Amino acid sequence: MPRKKKPSTTRPAEPRGLRFGVFLRNLLLALVPVVLVWMFLTPFLDNFLRVAGESLVHLTESPDVTRLLPAAADRHYAQVQRLDFPPARRNVSNFRVTDVHFPFVLLGILFLAVPEVPWRQRLSRLGWAALALLLFDVVLVLFWVKFIYATQLGAWSLEHYGAFARNFWGLGKHVLDLPIKLALPFALWVGFYLDRLLPGRGESAAG
Amino acid sequence: MAAEKQSAGADKTQERRTEGAAPTGWRAHRREITFVVLFLLLLAGSFTLLSWSPVNDGFVVPFTAGVAKVSGWALDLIGQDVQMSGTIIRSPRFAVNIENGCNGVETMLIFLAAVIAFPAPWSARLTGAVLGVVAIQLVNLVRVVALFLTGAYFPDFFDASHTVVWQTVVILFGVLLWIFWADRFARPRRAEAA
Repeated sequence: MPRKKKPSTTRPAEPRGLRFGVFLRNLLLALVPVVLVWMFLTPFLDNFLRVAGESLVHLTESPDVTRLLPAAADRHYAQVQRLDFPPARRNVSNFRVTDVHFPFVLLGILFLAVPEVPWRQRLSRLGWAALALLLFDVVLVLFWVKFIYATQLGAWSLEHYGAFARNFWGLGKHVLDLPIKLALPFALWVGFYLDRLLPGRGESAAG
Repeated sequence: MAAEKQSAGADKTQERRTEGAAPTGWRAHRREITFVVLFLLLLAGSFTLLSWSPVNDGFVVPFTAGVAKVSGWALDLIGQDVQMSGTIIRSPRFAVNIENGCNGVETMLIFLAAVIAFPAPWSARLTGAVLGVVAIQLVNLVRVVALFLTGAYFPDFFDASHTVVWQTVVILFGVLLWIFWADRFARPRRAEAA
């Protein structure tokens, strides 16, 4: 008696190669719309990252004394406040939230530029990658705030953070804010599209 | 019945063969996972190494001073009256200090980590790495000159231009350069691979 075949769980084969010229053209075409969408979303992203980042910081402190508020002079900045400090010294520092989330532009144009991908699949992949980038950005806000507390408040930092903690938050913020933040859109893109660039399975890459 | 058993056995063998040819689950993504993990480890490791004081003082600071000097020459060449002092470029209109983050090192590290992590012949990796680093530094030179001119003539746009626009442009250039290299030079040609 013939048995029913199980539906295949393997991925459908991606087309090989990227057609770099088409990729570059698509990238340039996507640039302006993606920048416009990012500019439109910037107030929402600023707000979300402030609120989510503040909640994450609260997990590391008791009682909850940190507030991340939009700066009065420029709403793209987050004003870091500590409620346990005297009112005159509550505003301990600030940082620009748009600097945290501008790699969304890079992510958008890279994902939209790949040729020969159905739109549904393209947008679904972009959605998952954007979610991963957003989660990373929330973690980056935590590192920004802890970096300020651990290294930027002089005697208070030395009193409340040991040498290991100062190095951890300092180096962590440094590594996450420069190379990882800038490389993450590319790493996410590679996660979905590396197959287009690699030799086919069974082909040899050794030269 | 015996024929059915034989047929079922043949099916199982066929399934095993199929599994061997096309892995499923996470194994189907093994190459992507390997690349991304290796890439991020190389990137974070090399950046941490460069942040270490002896390496920073012995390599990054002199390199950044070199970038500042070449940028000063380029600005001089296009008629800007600039004076150099270490990593500071100063003119009557504007002054800028070239620091880590403005020297193109992050983009170089991203590019080099991606080149090393990609399964290409070592000769292709070496050629790509050398030419890529030179190209990235040329684009970074354009960035420093453009930022100086922005600061001198359009100071309101300097902040956004510095952190958002040019950082995106330089990183995007490094990424595109890697994609171009991986697509055109790092993969074996079909005739060779066959």
